[in-house]
Amino acid sequence: MMNRRDNSTLLGSIDWITILVYVLLVFMGWLNIYASVYDDTQSGILDLSQRSGMQVVWMGVCAVVAMVILLVDSRYYHIFAYPLYGFSIMLLIAVLLFGVEVNGAKSWIMIGPVGFQPTELAKVTTALAIARYMSYYGFSFNKLSDFFRVAMILGLPFLIVVLQNDMGSAIVYTSFLIVLYREGFTGYIYVAVALIVTLFIMSFLITPVSMIILILLFCVVSEGIMNGEWRAKIIYLAYVLLISLVTFFISSICLDSAISMVTALEVSILLSMALVAMYAYRYRFRNISLFIVLLFSSIIFVAAIDYLFENVVQMHQQKRILDLLGIENDLRGWGYNVNQSKIAIGSGGVWGKGFLEGTQTKYKFVPEQSTDFIFCTVGEEWGFIGTMTVLALFCILIIRLMKMGERQLDPFGRIYCYSVASILFFHIFINIGMTIGLMPVIGIPLPFFSYGGSSLVAFTILLFIAIKMDLTKRESQN
Amino acid sequence: MNNFRIKVLQIFIIVAFAIMGIRLLYLQVIDNRYKRESASNVMRYEMLYPPRGEVFDRNGQYIVQSKESYDLMAIPIDVEPFDTLKMATLIGVSREKLVKEFKKAVRYSRRRPSVIIKQLTKEEKLRLDELNIKGFYTIYRTIRSYPQKIAGNMLGYVGEVNDRIINNNNYYRSGDYIGMSGVESAYEEVLRGEKGVKINMVDVHGVSKGSYAEGAYDTLPKSGTSITCSIDAELQKFGEELLEGKIGSIVAIEPATGEILMMVNTPTYDPDELVGRQRGNNYMDLLNNKRRPLFNRAVMARYPPGSIFKIVNGLIGLQEGVLTPSTKYPCIGGYTVGRGVKCHNHISPVDLDYAVRTSCNAYFCYVMRDIIDNRKYGSVKKGLDVWSEYVKSFGFGVGLNSDFNGELKGYVPAADFYNKYYDGRWNSLTVISLSIGQGELGCTPLQMANLAAIIANRGHYFTPHVVSRIHDRDSIDARFYEKHNTLVDDKHFNPIVQGMFDAVHKNQGTARVAYIPGLDVCGKTGTAQNPRGEDHSTFMCFAPKDNPKIAVSVYVENGGFGARIAAPVASLIVEKYLNDSISSSRLPLIEYVKGQKIDYSVYDE
Repeated sequence: MMNRRDNSTLLGSIDWITILVYVLLVFMGWLNIYASVYDDTQSGILDLSQRSGMQVVWMGVCAVVAMVILLVDSRYYHIFAYPLYGFSIMLLIAVLLFGVEVNGAKSWIMIGPVGFQPTELAKVTTALAIARYMSYYGFSFNKLSDFFRVAMILGLPFLIVVLQNDMGSAIVYTSFLIVLYREGFTGYIYVAVALIVTLFIMSFLITPVSMIILILLFCVVSEGIMNGEWRAKIIYLAYVLLISLVTFFISSICLDSAISMVTALEVSILLSMALVAMYAYRYRFRNISLFIVLLFSSIIFVAAIDYLFENVVQMHQQKRILDLLGIENDLRGWGYNVNQSKIAIGSGGVWGKGFLEGTQTKYKFVPEQSTDFIFCTVGEEWGFIGTMTVLALFCILIIRLMKMGERQLDPFGRIYCYSVASILFFHIFINIGMTIGLMPVIGIPLPFFSYGGSSLVAFTILLFIAIKMDLTKRESQN
Repeated sequence: MNNFRIKVLQIFIIVAFAIMGIRLLYLQVIDNRYKRESASNVMRYEMLYPPRGEVFDRNGQYIVQSKESYDLMAIPIDVEPFDTLKMATLIGVSREKLVKEFKKAVRYSRRRPSVIIKQLTKEEKLRLDELNIKGFYTIYRTIRSYPQKIAGNMLGYVGEVNDRIINNNNYYRSGDYIGMSGVESAYEEVLRGEKGVKINMVDVHGVSKGSYAEGAYDTLPKSGTSITCSIDAELQKFGEELLEGKIGSIVAIEPATGEILMMVNTPTYDPDELVGRQRGNNYMDLLNNKRRPLFNRAVMARYPPGSIFKIVNGLIGLQEGVLTPSTKYPCIGGYTVGRGVKCHNHISPVDLDYAVRTSCNAYFCYVMRDIIDNRKYGSVKKGLDVWSEYVKSFGFGVGLNSDFNGELKGYVPAADFYNKYYDGRWNSLTVISLSIGQGELGCTPLQMANLAAIIANRGHYFTPHVVSRIHDRDSIDARFYEKHNTLVDDKHFNPIVQGMFDAVHKNQGTARVAYIPGLDVCGKTGTAQNPRGEDHSTFMCFAPKDNPKIAVSVYVENGGFGARIAAPVASLIVEKYLNDSISSSRLPLIEYVKGQKIDYSVYDE
């Protein structure tokens, strides 16, 4: 149902705001790349031997690619979704076999002098493939076969990228969870994930005793909210407390070595199950089993984390986790990058030090400053004003992509737009979060900012296919 | 359902961006820590050291000079293989030492400069410059030199700051020099000048990237200010010669101003030993020397004053009205009440003048008891407190607040002390030793010299001080111009002065050895008992009697009678200062003093 289009409708219907945001971001990224590699001996911003010069070349490539995408009929993306996906999977495997290793990750293919990361392309084709599959009529997460196919489409590139030892890029595939939620994937999974993450972080920050008490209180209170009977809750809690204290004192009298308070609490909770069973029988509350499962799985989970952390997780990974949670601060080792990054951003103040005046980035205190840590240059030279501008632009872009998705007529376009929003959001949050100490150090680029041809071109393709779909839909409405 | 999920997702996205925004607000706007750390990352402060101020004596002669010196620095990464043996020989260290220091520098940082060898002489530096070895350079420092080689203890020494100083004082950085004792320490802030600083920017490897803000914040070093000491270098040198081999102290003061004319401590040392590369070893040797040459006895030792203190008691008695110059007391071999105090053989009874002249112990026991048992005070406790206040007005027990750091206050007991010590059961006989300057009294040689100055001034003193001029200022500290009056009226001093004059000039005088024709010396000997070996020989005097120019105290540990060593030394000092030379008839006295050997085995055990 394509209308004949002429140039005026093409330009008239296009989402100019998104294009403008895109151009602004790329241009700002380019300036910051120049600033991050700048030193006094360097020639111009267009010098091709420098990254800022090369970025101009890539920007040119992107302009061409964007034009081509806008001109190609959007039906082709639907048609070629699977072949493109298959092609990128083959590329990924080829990289695994013949690729070049950079920084420990085997994720590069050299085509002549130009390096290329298929991982970046795979994000686009996976988004297309998932959109194509989930948009077939009658798709439902309740069908086991559908669920498994979705898991396979996402799992395959994830697995290969893990094998390439590029954890950062692999984690990006979890961003599709956002799309799946939009398409009706069960909400319990997200609650469970949130709970696990919370438990995980809490288990490092507070003592086991207070942890168990918190879990118990959480379960009892939420059960109370659902079922009422608060008197019974108070009696129950008093009972658990009493039994645990009695257990503790008896053990310290009778046994050679007193059991710990944690064990006493656990024993007491176990003993209290008889009481819970009586309570459940009397009031006929079916959902009590849910809370019993929640209670025990949480306690077991916390104990397991403790055990795993001490015995299985390697030292350097332990350090990274402790560092992020602010428990340990090793500024010479793991904390160094993040600390330098925070210093650079923090020293920018409100107004920044000015273009090319950033000492922390110019004198290379910040590592990887034109790629993963490019946001430091923004923070140092443009200050709070600059970082807020960049955040605002990104936020507008993502919200706009979600809106674009919602106004698509068929699920294919909607799912694709949401995929783009999810992937971009994930990159932005992880990357900026890492530079300001909110996230662990995971080496993924900041979209449109970080230096690198593959990522800039891939993000451009990702975005412009969405813009093209939006354009097609508007034209068809005309 | 879908609308709910869309809302959830939008809120999720916005909350995530808000979290990042708040975090950035905190990092960039609220928390200032990162701005400071950024500066400490990038800026390297290169110190430019000023020459330290020099020290002159009262006649304008140098006693401390600043000599240029160079620290050899290296930036290991710039260093190419070189002839280590040749270089080591050139700068006068062993090859092993050079290699060791260089390796230490490499371990510290390959890109940052380290000190390799400190304090090269100018000649060594020039020879090194000719070789022009890559990666090595020298920086300008100054070190001390002492052309007269005198007064080591009084002048003090200069050393490198330690961690404690760096932590307590913002000015100092590792490697800076600071005055550690004596004048160097007391006038540190005048002498040190101001360091200059050159701020360079460096990259993450410590490699310089040029000066910060085109040198807008760089400063030039400001040379230290010179000072003039009131010391007479000739006199000081003479005093050190006289006391060589003995342990003790000579302090001379100009009564009219409080300027210290000399401050001898023996054993002393050559101040040049505490400069240069051998400083560490020499310092340890001096520190381990049991006779403690680094101890500034003149202001830090607490001695019993002995008989010279009788003067103070006499003055208090006159002021209190319990004594008149004509009051006579009997003395048959001593004071016989209570435990008793022995005295030497002389006529009896005696008046005040004679008691001072012959240093009668019994006489001052009577005086002391009259002072503190005075009916008007009701009790001996109150009486002793009154006495104590008088004594403190002479600067004893309260410190003089001179310009020496670490000056000792000394000790003057009051009723409290004995109440505690004797559980309240004591009377004037218990404390009778105070009458002759023994017992619980403790004072420094500086306080004794100050006592001589007070008597010379007939009742007042100016705070003794050793620095008479700071070259870029109009005046020295205001406290040195302040006149301190004792609680004893001027008129009461005349009979005492007469007694001291007679001690030198008349028969039965204990200080006849101090007689110098035409100089009208007034003196008082002392023989201070001490639990460790022989009595200390002490003497204080001033001259001339009218319009005095010099007040001296001499304290020689274990020297025996005051007249044996202390009095001859003091009289030689007075003669040297007032007449510029020793008359030929008195030259044998110098030989006599030098010939007196004292047994100091108590120190060497």
